[in-house]
Amino acid sequence: MERVFEIIINGLSTGAIYSLLALGFVLIFKSTGILNFAQGELAMVGAFVCFTFASQLQLPYLLAFLIALGIGAVLGAFIDLLFFRRMVGEPVFATIMITVGLASILTSAAGIIWGHDVHAIRAPFTDKTLEVGNVVLTHGSLITVGVSLLLFVVFMLFFNRSLLGVAMRGTAEDPDTAGLMGINVNKIHMAAWAIGTLVAAVAGIFLADQSFVRLSMSHTGIKAMAAAILGGMESIRGAVVGGLAIGLIEGFAANYLSGAEVGGFHFGDVKEVAAFVVMIVVLMIRPHGIFGREKVERV
Amino acid sequence: MGGKFKTSYKGDMALFQTLWVKVWLGILAAAIVVCPQFLSTYQISILNEMAIAIIGALGLNLLIGYTGQISLGHGAFLAIGAYTTALAAGELNLPFIVTLPLSGFMAALLGMVVGVPALRLKGLYLALGTLAFGFIVDYILFHWDLTQGDMGMAVNPVQIGSWSVQTEKEFFYFIACFAALATLCAKNIARSKIGRNFIAIRDRDIAAEAMGISLAKYKIMAFGLSSFYAGIAGALVAHYQKWIVPGSFDLSLSIAYIAMIILGGLGTVLGSILGAILITGIPHGIIYATDVAKESYPALSGLIVDFKLGIFGLIVVLALLFEPQGLAGIYRRAKVYWKTWPFKY
Repeated sequence: MERVFEIIINGLSTGAIYSLLALGFVLIFKSTGILNFAQGELAMVGAFVCFTFASQLQLPYLLAFLIALGIGAVLGAFIDLLFFRRMVGEPVFATIMITVGLASILTSAAGIIWGHDVHAIRAPFTDKTLEVGNVVLTHGSLITVGVSLLLFVVFMLFFNRSLLGVAMRGTAEDPDTAGLMGINVNKIHMAAWAIGTLVAAVAGIFLADQSFVRLSMSHTGIKAMAAAILGGMESIRGAVVGGLAIGLIEGFAANYLSGAEVGGFHFGDVKEVAAFVVMIVVLMIRPHGIFGREKVERV
Repeated sequence: MGGKFKTSYKGDMALFQTLWVKVWLGILAAAIVVCPQFLSTYQISILNEMAIAIIGALGLNLLIGYTGQISLGHGAFLAIGAYTTALAAGELNLPFIVTLPLSGFMAALLGMVVGVPALRLKGLYLALGTLAFGFIVDYILFHWDLTQGDMGMAVNPVQIGSWSVQTEKEFFYFIACFAALATLCAKNIARSKIGRNFIAIRDRDIAAEAMGISLAKYKIMAFGLSSFYAGIAGALVAHYQKWIVPGSFDLSLSIAYIAMIILGGLGTVLGSILGAILITGIPHGIIYATDVAKESYPALSGLIVDFKLGIFGLIVVLALLFEPQGLAGIYRRAKVYWKTWPFKY
């Protein structure tokens, strides 16, 4: 029983990272209709920026965190300005492939700037633990879960109550009509990219706290896509639920399957692939996800 | 546009439309036969990589460029072809004449399986599905005893009758035949009923269905054909490298193939070839350039990997932003420009 409880706790804390990354996907997809394959790379850049300021320049952690978020937002706005401003209304293939190309560019730039070494960020809450009964909870994972729930509430309010949020939803539905209604579509897209990248940076920094700062951490972004698909690409609620679910599934698969062997097939690090199996299953059964709405195509 | 007037249906359907096309193709064929005699082994090895890439890129272009189905899992089909060859030639001792088509059909079979969900999925959902498929294939190859995991598998050299392909030069002539055959097939598929149906599906699938094109049949056919090409390319890669490991068929290979067809031109046979040649050539160009610059900037050599990845990304992004028709589009425009000069159109 205790073991199960521990798996759940660990799964939720990994899942919270997926939730944060999936939130970024959903934010950008909801307002611009672009699926951003570079979300994991943006998270990686955010983590590296935080590392630079916190560990190399010895600034206070909170300040470095905020600087990383600020740089993330500016980077997002720049990406929109440079790449996606002229891509409005282009076919899906083109926009997807630009984000894939962007992912390669970001990885390459990060490799040139920060190198291929593995680093760690020392946060004030690193290595601090809290014991409830016999279960050990790290402060880092508690804060991660807390922040992703907080952001969930903030974005729910943002999209339902604020003018900018409603404008973003309108722009996603139909950019042309939104433009005619007096919404500045370019500005909305830029804001979406800025916020989406900012959320990615948050995810990257918390991910760095759970593991390390390195180039390959961007791989988590692809797994978070499974979370976004599971929850529904256009649902904020779905991103959070999907992320936590993927985290739990990974946790249970890693604990109960990794030693297994069937006919010469070793399951091994099944954790790496569980998210993709979930993704394929969801795409086969319910492509619009748990909370998504099925799109009806007009002829 | 241009000075090409056709007076008969047969003339319109001709594979080589003008005398000049025939002449240039003849010169190209002669160059392919003669060139290896003057090139070093390293240079021929680059040509070999290019020829294999051409086969894979032609297949991917049939799927993405002609049919409009996004696939981020092309590398997985190459892997399936390569491993089928390794297993069939190594464990079962089958001759090359059997293993090559077997690899193609194995990949095609799995491609058609992947194509079935594609009937429901569109656009980015299909991209995600194929992406996940790629990761799962990679994972299976790593963890299955049959494929020997991260140890990789040794592959026998090609043996046809008593002739065995050993040197780079022999291999070049050998692959060049396949590349030419693949090009011819792709060109014929593209201009036949099948290719036209593919294009109709790409342009508007609902309209295509309304016109009586069976979406299920042709989408699955596109996946099967594309995977068949990938399987053949994979089999040739396996024979060429003599040793295959799962990690070399990952997402980055799929992205490299997509970069080829985007740079070359989506939905053109010429584009697949140009793209394959350039994308395969660029890393070698970078290595050459850094070799030259190494003396003055020694730190540069450690950055080759980063540069390679970044330049691929940059090519994809810039091509999509500024030249969505790719090199084939530039070529077409240049041709029209010279033909109609000094008039604008």
